[in-house]
Amino acid sequence: MSSDGYRAMPDSIIKNLPFLLAGLRLTAEISVLSIIGGSALGVAIGIVRYARAPVLAQLFDVYVEFVRGTPLLVVLFICYFGFPALFGYQTSAYSAAILGFILFIAAYLAEDIRSGLRSVPGSLVQAALALGLTRAQVICFVVVPIALRNVIPTLFNQYVRLFKFTSVASVIGVNELTGSAMLINAREFAPFSIIAFLALTYLVFCLAISSLGRLIYSRLAIRA
Amino acid sequence: MSYKLDWAPIWNNRDLLVEGFLTTIALSASALMLALIIGVIVGTAGATHARGALRISSAAYVELMRNIPLLVHLYFWYVALAFLRLPPFMCAVFGLALYSGAYIAEVVRSGIGAVPQGQRLAALAIGLTPRQALLFVVYPQAFRIMTPSLASICSQLIKDSSLASVIAVAELTYQASAIEGQTFRTFEVYITISLLYLLLVSAVSYGLLLVPGARDVVGRIPSDA
Repeated sequence: MSSDGYRAMPDSIIKNLPFLLAGLRLTAEISVLSIIGGSALGVAIGIVRYARAPVLAQLFDVYVEFVRGTPLLVVLFICYFGFPALFGYQTSAYSAAILGFILFIAAYLAEDIRSGLRSVPGSLVQAALALGLTRAQVICFVVVPIALRNVIPTLFNQYVRLFKFTSVASVIGVNELTGSAMLINAREFAPFSIIAFLALTYLVFCLAISSLGRLIYSRLAIRA
Repeated sequence: MSYKLDWAPIWNNRDLLVEGFLTTIALSASALMLALIIGVIVGTAGATHARGALRISSAAYVELMRNIPLLVHLYFWYVALAFLRLPPFMCAVFGLALYSGAYIAEVVRSGIGAVPQGQRLAALAIGLTPRQALLFVVYPQAFRIMTPSLASICSQLIKDSSLASVIAVAELTYQASAIEGQTFRTFEVYITISLLYLLLVSAVSYGLLLVPGARDVVGRIPSDA
């Protein structure tokens, strides 16, 4: 690609590598924090909806439906502009993005976890109840461990999705990988090499997350 | 809480929201059409039995396209190919279609795989050509199985189209930002467009389930939204 104005390939990347790596570190940081937070919230919501705890379950039903019908970008805008205005607090783009990602991905994870919980055979639940476990114990020690091991592949699909979606944080001004790459592009104007670098980096990390998921699943899967 | 909710500015700017809503529909519909074409071609190539170049290139396309964030897809068309001077709307259509096409290809591939092999063999045995067998026997059955997954990809695509606002396509999210910038009714405007997206997504998901035969398989096929 040697159109006018496009520089030779690696130069612009190598020169700015420290800046790009700082962006990558931020992307990793946001992903890890959001995955941990989102999974915790998702499991909690999934269990509450599975157990049909009164009021809370209905509340979370609305929450899940609402978030799953809303684009991520709008969720981020609500967390960055909406909530601070409504509740009168100050926030940074970074923490607003993490809050947004957690709220967003938790809704999807909750739905996956609930269907995992539902797929645990009823006979197991009855057997556990017959042994004298309370309803809470059955959920904690029988249903949840089995369900979580079964839904590992779906969870990792969502983690890959979340990792890709962290790029959207650049829109509200977080200089993670995509944000810093586009900043560099504004200065260097080497869009082909910079966007190719971006695409390749995301590709490698997404494939790595998927294979990590497959590895964990192959270790933990319950075989018949 | 010092913030007073005030919905009047949203109502006064309703023509902007309607305009954005229609653009979102147009953008999603065009991207979906293109994505379906890509998905059916790539997915059918991926479902071939021989481990040939066809299947490998299909898998390569899927892995490459869906592991790159949509935003990077959009920047590719809008920034890297800026010398083509495509209008932003076209950039968004191409970016969305290539990205979602990979997801549709996976659904098509597994949909074709879910049609029992005997169906195709029987069709060949009664004298249909391979192309006829695919077109008149395998596809009609596969598409019914695929409908729930297609519905979830379709709603995903509608929500993803909000990213087109970043490359200056005047769709719903873009108009919302514009209204927010003028009126400062931040919370109200974003809640309003959330509900509009929810409305559109629900309408499309339920609409697709009205496809003849789709409901029969809903219980059997796990949706992967």
